[in-house]
Amino acid sequence: MELFFNPFDNLVCILLGISLTVWFTLLLVFIIVPAIFGVSFGIRRLYMKTLLKLFEWATLRIERGAKENNHHLHKPYSNAIIAKEPTSLEEEIKEIRRSGSNKDLDSASEFEMSDIFYFARRGVASIMDDEVTKRFSAEELESWNLLTRSNNNFHYISLRLTVLWGLGLVIRYSFLLPLRVTLAFTGVGLLVFLTCVIGLLPNGRLKNFLSEKVHLMCYRICVRALTAIITYHDSENKPKKGGICVANHTSPIDVIILASDGCYAMVGQIHGGLMGIIQRSMVKACPHIWFERSEVKDRHLVAKRLSDHLEVKTKLPILIFPEGTCINNTSVMMFKKGSFEIGGTVYPVAIKYDPRFGDAFWNSSKFGMVSYLLRMMSSWAIVCSVWYLPPMSREEDEDAVQFANRVKAAIARQGGLVDLLWDGGLKRGKVKETFKEEQQKLYSKMLVGTQEDRSRS
Amino acid sequence: MGALQSSPGQPEYVDLKEKTGFSFSQIRVLHKRFKLLSHNGETLKRDHFNSIPDLACNPIRSQIIEAFFDRRNFRQNGEGPVDEIHFEEFLMVMSHFKAPSPRMIEERESVRREKLRFIFNMHDTDNDGTITLEEYRHVIDELLSLSEALEKDTAKSIADAAMLEVASTSMGHMEPDEFYEGITFEHFLKLLKGFEIELKMNVHFSMMDTPTFCK
Repeated sequence: MELFFNPFDNLVCILLGISLTVWFTLLLVFIIVPAIFGVSFGIRRLYMKTLLKLFEWATLRIERGAKENNHHLHKPYSNAIIAKEPTSLEEEIKEIRRSGSNKDLDSASEFEMSDIFYFARRGVASIMDDEVTKRFSAEELESWNLLTRSNNNFHYISLRLTVLWGLGLVIRYSFLLPLRVTLAFTGVGLLVFLTCVIGLLPNGRLKNFLSEKVHLMCYRICVRALTAIITYHDSENKPKKGGICVANHTSPIDVIILASDGCYAMVGQIHGGLMGIIQRSMVKACPHIWFERSEVKDRHLVAKRLSDHLEVKTKLPILIFPEGTCINNTSVMMFKKGSFEIGGTVYPVAIKYDPRFGDAFWNSSKFGMVSYLLRMMSSWAIVCSVWYLPPMSREEDEDAVQFANRVKAAIARQGGLVDLLWDGGLKRGKVKETFKEEQQKLYSKMLVGTQEDRSRS
Repeated sequence: MGALQSSPGQPEYVDLKEKTGFSFSQIRVLHKRFKLLSHNGETLKRDHFNSIPDLACNPIRSQIIEAFFDRRNFRQNGEGPVDEIHFEEFLMVMSHFKAPSPRMIEERESVRREKLRFIFNMHDTDNDGTITLEEYRHVIDELLSLSEALEKDTAKSIADAAMLEVASTSMGHMEPDEFYEGITFEHFLKLLKGFEIELKMNVHFSMMDTPTFCK
């Protein structure tokens, strides 16, 4: 009779059991327990420093290799490719007219055939490069971070580099990715389960206290699930109860980053599926503001619910992303004025990601949510800085739009981002006709101006 | 995506460099821009240009966009509009706005002609080689606003005045029943003789900047 289990199988089973136990113990001790108590062993920072050294080495090798083979190295243009000449419409047209040697400027006719040069040039310049369209795709890197997805220079340079890249691939996909996915499931699962349990308690101080702890703990586990290395600056300005927290938006991860350092009431639309389950259980433990799809269109309803929340001074600060869409973290686009009309103190927060470790920008036209999260979890790490700016309130003579722009400028300045007036909605929509009319008006005014001068003289 | 992904073929760029006069790095930058505008497609269509907000502000944007789809600007002696353009044609049209290199002082006249030809083509929408009064009026209409700052027929009167001036400069004294058909390219050149268009109608590339990282 054959033995059901021969000794070899037994051994394999035992080994498997032991390694799984060790694995889970390590996980628990080094990751989950610190997350619960909010302490850190510093493993992630060490990891970050090692990675940086590695990237520098890799870049040097590429540059050296390129020089040896006489390849032209492609350096990305991250800022404007066109030299900007800050002159106004009137000045430039006058200059063009002046260069026509046979006409005297003051007695120039009202309209010159050469005026069109100015508009043609500006049009082609904006086709060559403009401030807005490049914000909706990922930023370019100068050094290579050993991810195939972000390289432009990678020819076959050396065996060592390719081996390193291959090793990186193996580590990222077979070690880091499963680890992170496990943590993510743990974090989300705990969140759903524990908030449901807390929801059973009667409203009161105990419930609020527990809900705070649970939220923080689960978000910290999620932070570790993404290997996010976050540096918080100026924590004395952290948003307080009864206020609104406003931040620039690059990806859905922003929420996790902010919520792991403080408790917020989130605002958003209720989704179906897994997201919906998470949202519904979260609201049992603490009053987040979720809207049905139909309610989102009704601006008054939204404003009323938000201001009702603010009335109760013991409620958590509201977290809002006024840009309304994800921008690629090189600029801040127009803040929608709705969040600035409801009153209350505004606590601005600037978030800047370090693109060397992994690009956090969510290009929703290119990637869905799941593939985006998988990309995030298979990058090296997500490194970012968060600055808490001093609180601001709307002044007497300011309207909502001016206030929004003031806050936006402060955030852009702190994060080192470009401050743009354009609407992030341009990602999907078209520019209104009114902008074209502005330019036409300017030009017409100039012509009328010369007409008036002539009739006066 | 293999590890041995190569950069865009250099031999194509050599060809383009000779035809257009742009340097390698400029061609690379413009190629990236082309891919961004076309959403990584092979060709650009008119619709793709509409996604540029700065261009949407420009009063003559439709003329500028048409210029990109006008075969006369492709330097292949063709005529008529196309529906979509490849990178080579895009670069050809862009090269009209290239700053002349200092070495090309002798060729300044031909550079001038090229740039003025571009502007001429922009006015002459029916490809017949002359800018008629209607066509000119249309362009001026686009430039002016519909606000009350100007009277209703201002565009018409400006266009008429301009055409009259052109006629008198180029034809001298006209018989009462002679009809001035339109501005030909030679007249156009003569009119704009004094303007240093080769200096004014250029778009300059700036130096590279290094990106900023987290502090």
